[in-house]
Amino acid sequence: MNPEGLKYHTDHSWVKIEGKKAVVGITDYAQGELGDIVYIEMPEKDAVVSGNQEIGELESTKTTSPILAPVSGKVIEINEELKDSPELINKDPYGKGWILKIEMSNPKEIDQLMDAKGYEAFVKEGEK
Amino acid sequence: MSSRRRIAIIGAGPGGYVAALRGAQLGAKVAVIEDREVGGTCLNRGCIPSKAMISCVEVLEKVKKGEEFGINISGEVSPDLSRIIDRKNKIVGTLVRGIHSLFKSWGVELIEGMGSLTDRHQIKVVTKAGEEKVIEADSIILATGSRPAKIPIFPFDGKRVMTSDDVLDMRDLPSTLLIVGGGVIGCEFASIYSGLGVDVTIVELLPRILATEDEEIGSLLERELKKRNVKIITGIKVDKVQMSNDKDQMSKLNVTLSDGRVIASDRILVSIGRELCSDGLNLDKVGVAIGKRGEVLVNEWMETNIPGIFAIGDLVGGMLLAHKASAEGKVAVANCIDGEEAMNYNIVPAGIFTLPEIGTVGLKESEAKEKGIGIKVGRFNFRGLGKAHAMGEISGMVKVISDEKTKKVVGVHIIGPHATDLIHEAAVAMKIGATYDQIADTIHAHPTLSEAVMEAMEDTGGISIHTPKKS
Repeated sequence: MNPEGLKYHTDHSWVKIEGKKAVVGITDYAQGELGDIVYIEMPEKDAVVSGNQEIGELESTKTTSPILAPVSGKVIEINEELKDSPELINKDPYGKGWILKIEMSNPKEIDQLMDAKGYEAFVKEGEK
Repeated sequence: MSSRRRIAIIGAGPGGYVAALRGAQLGAKVAVIEDREVGGTCLNRGCIPSKAMISCVEVLEKVKKGEEFGINISGEVSPDLSRIIDRKNKIVGTLVRGIHSLFKSWGVELIEGMGSLTDRHQIKVVTKAGEEKVIEADSIILATGSRPAKIPIFPFDGKRVMTSDDVLDMRDLPSTLLIVGGGVIGCEFASIYSGLGVDVTIVELLPRILATEDEEIGSLLERELKKRNVKIITGIKVDKVQMSNDKDQMSKLNVTLSDGRVIASDRILVSIGRELCSDGLNLDKVGVAIGKRGEVLVNEWMETNIPGIFAIGDLVGGMLLAHKASAEGKVAVANCIDGEEAMNYNIVPAGIFTLPEIGTVGLKESEAKEKGIGIKVGRFNFRGLGKAHAMGEISGMVKVISDEKTKKVVGVHIIGPHATDLIHEAAVAMKIGATYDQIADTIHAHPTLSEAVMEAMEDTGGISIHTPKKS
């Protein structure tokens, strides 16, 4: 279900730690709730972001939804493929649908994120 | 000797020509003086030409999206700007002839030449041939409009560095276009040229584009422009413009911004505002008072400080809108005859013909708050509407601002398909003092875009049917 090796934010984003880098995307649950994604507004490369700050927006056929930064740091890479193919987020949310990479300024923030089991429970609670 | 009131009008734009026709309808003897073409800026260099062009872009966008609609298009689909301009000119020509024919029909005399005041009841006209004519009138209406503002930093040449007047004759699509000024005109042209495949950048001095509009609407338009690859730079001004190569007439321009960045662009369109045309009228001679911006000062009856001399349209400042000029023209001319009509600016809808369109009437959210009005806001996204999905145009929303005590609607802002038409439901409702409940309770046919207005009204009370429960 939710990949084990990842950490999860309450805003339904996942984080994959690669040393000082955090690869960020949204979860399968999130993409399902959003529906067909038609556009994603992402921050610029080199933008400095803080944890929980609104850094972009997802637009689907159903709704629009802000993207919150799960951790603080500098945006070092954005997934350019999403500009022409935002549906990659729906099709492969943990793989090709990755959104951006942040160079973390405060790696301790990872501790505040949930693990796969915690996130699963969190989603179940929300659905009650 | 005729006992009909003689009215002379300088300017045959939407203010002047409408005043002329109404004056004739009311039985006056009307003469209109115009030194360019009838229809003024609106018909020749503004509203109509730009709308003709955006319509071409809409066709192009739809055809390019053919696949999505199950339509097979084979071969290259591309715009031919020269033919787009030809079409625009043909439409303008038809409408100009239409006004000439209306003048003939109602017996309005058109005098071609440049008019200026020589006396309270006298106008001197210099024709193109250099002849001078003197027109006597019982009342005079000044309707000379406005022109694009030019500031010295920009080396205007009408070809590489252009105003909105010049760009409407541009027949070759540049690769890049820098638009200075992200107001209504700048954004409309950004929609047109990005739609035609040009790499467009907008540079705006204020912190956001469309600063005159409601913030949420401006921000939605910004996103839609970015989706069309328009780059938007705000809070920055242009410091310097240099030709990158003196020898090559059509080489790129290097534009230095106030933050030090240099942007190279094939063309620049400067749309930073408009100047009012009060300078050529000889107003000092007769003592007509003007304000700081060069606007002719008038009272609510559209009369200047000189009895018998009226002024209307862009010339008097305020909202630079053709329909405001026309409404003022009708008021002014009635007052020239025997009326005592006062101009009312409470409900003036406006349309912005970007992609998607914007229609607005009444107060912005920030304006209502500044006035100390306690408000309730209702919203509805077009993507919640079946018709919008069927049309394939789901971007946009309806935003309704109502007085929380009286429940009367004080402002409506729409961005999305047909917004410039949809806004009129709101204008009529506001004119008769309707509450959001009353509009919500009015049955709106399904499936139509107007349902979004009904749902936004319902949302004001928290009960929009097609909006999920808010947590």
